[in-house]
Amino acid sequence: MIEGDLLRVEAVSKTFESVRAVNDVSFAVSRGEILGFLGPNGAGKTTTIRMILGIFDPDSGAIRSSLDGGRNHVPKERTGYLPEERGLYSDAKVLDLLVYFGELKGLDRAESRVRAREWLGRFDLLDWAAKRVEKLSKGMQQKVQFVAAILHRPDLVVLDEPFSGLDPVNQNVLREVIAGLKDDGAAILLSSHRMNLVEELCDRIFLIHNGRRVLYGDLDEIKESHGEHAVRIRFTGDGSPLADMTAVRNLRLDEGHATFTLDRSASVDEFVRHLPDSIVIRALSVDRPPLHDIFVQTVEGRAS
Amino acid sequence: MRLGKVIRWEFGQSIRSKQFLIITILIPAILAIGVFAASRAFGSDSSAASDPPPAIIGIFLAIILYLGAFMSGVMTMYGVMKEKQSRVVEMMLSSVSAWELVCGKLIGLGLAGLIQVIVWATLVYVGASQFMPISLASLTLVHWVTYPLYFVLGYLFIGSIFGTIGAAIKDIHSGGAVGFAGMIPYLPMLFTALIVQQPGLLWIRIAGFIPPFVPSIMLLRIGATPLVTEGAEFVPTWEIALSLASLALGTFLMMRFATKVFEVGMLMTGKSASLRELWRWGRRRG
Repeated sequence: MIEGDLLRVEAVSKTFESVRAVNDVSFAVSRGEILGFLGPNGAGKTTTIRMILGIFDPDSGAIRSSLDGGRNHVPKERTGYLPEERGLYSDAKVLDLLVYFGELKGLDRAESRVRAREWLGRFDLLDWAAKRVEKLSKGMQQKVQFVAAILHRPDLVVLDEPFSGLDPVNQNVLREVIAGLKDDGAAILLSSHRMNLVEELCDRIFLIHNGRRVLYGDLDEIKESHGEHAVRIRFTGDGSPLADMTAVRNLRLDEGHATFTLDRSASVDEFVRHLPDSIVIRALSVDRPPLHDIFVQTVEGRAS
Repeated sequence: MRLGKVIRWEFGQSIRSKQFLIITILIPAILAIGVFAASRAFGSDSSAASDPPPAIIGIFLAIILYLGAFMSGVMTMYGVMKEKQSRVVEMMLSSVSAWELVCGKLIGLGLAGLIQVIVWATLVYVGASQFMPISLASLTLVHWVTYPLYFVLGYLFIGSIFGTIGAAIKDIHSGGAVGFAGMIPYLPMLFTALIVQQPGLLWIRIAGFIPPFVPSIMLLRIGATPLVTEGAEFVPTWEIALSLASLALGTFLMMRFATKVFEVGMLMTGKSASLRELWRWGRRRG
């Protein structure tokens, strides 16, 4: 096993009743990396996550980690989990609850208390430490639950929709915290439907659909190889030869202005070198397809 | 040890809740009134000869212990349902195993129940001794040894039944047939008068070895036997030993069953389980 591979999911499958929820899924996450774990609703994300965290056992395949001595799961004290379905003990006091979660993950009581106060301070919640959880707003509870997930400095962090329900200011705070965890060497599995955040935060992505892997790899490479580049040109001269270029799709040609997409098979470099001489370029932009489009195209392509 | 932490948390949360105060203080108040009324009724019979014998305390204790196990069981069911409804369970299961969580809940809430029962028993004893010639001195070694064992095992058995129900049903209104499972251990209570009057009947003795019925029947039998049978005859030791062994085995299996149902039931909150599904969940491997 490569030193960096903190988590390795190997050919894992899980069947419920007669439904194959997860089918032969493999991927790895290494330290200091954020893997975007994507997929439409019901694709098998939560089931996969629960197997990684040892809540379910896979029917076949293995979950391996450089943290354990060859056992078939990641040690629970080393993982931190923010589930999509949020929930805390509503009648417990905030600080007590955090201390409890810290203790369950192996911190001693005093250490757990110090860290809980530290994090509450960071999320601007210190005034609420002695309040019952039910008195907090949804966004506050969300932050408390995030703290509960990472209080013990886990090596493997699994975050399911960590930004939902947070205002923009808190989203920024959380983004910084997640980046900080990554810099400290945690391996992070980030599941989200917010493609802009995934694009911003993740190094690599894994797209699961109907329980199977449909995309996996470096985000930049996936963007290079999937979807169509969006091209915009401002020019002077005659733009009509653009329509004859084989790489050009969906051309919209106005006076001095053209927008179109490049055919998947075309290379950007080739295309630019062979632009017609009849136009003088004033501005040119070639944008990689947004992850959102890749997601939709891939999933819809598979569905049909 | 994680189990110890779960126990401490559940215990601490439980004794700090409002329900606990209400049940621990309010119920004894009602009982005290009942005892007072009963003592009046006994008193109106006038003649000193009809006073209850001192050993009736054994029956009192039996009923209190069994009531205590029932209350703790119901608290366990609510605890499990709350865990499920608040969805905290997914985070918990990423920290502890289902077995640790179920055991921790049962033991933690059971300890709180034990405090409750001690409070009740003390209050009832103090109250009742004002009106009746009862005395702790009439309790024998057999009572002191067996009552705690029947209470602890009985609670764990009943608690795991209620915990199973809590994990299997969506909310308190949709228990269906599953909800009735919680009543099974209470069937012998229908025959309380008979058990107290004739604790040596064959079918009562046989029922005393069946795990769900063990605590109620044996507590009453042990309490009643010295009252109705003159002289040395007591519940035979082998019967006590066999019933305890049977209860211990039943409790272990019930806790295992509860854990399995918990594992499946807690993570699918959409619906309540039918009895058949419950059975399938409970036997599920892995």
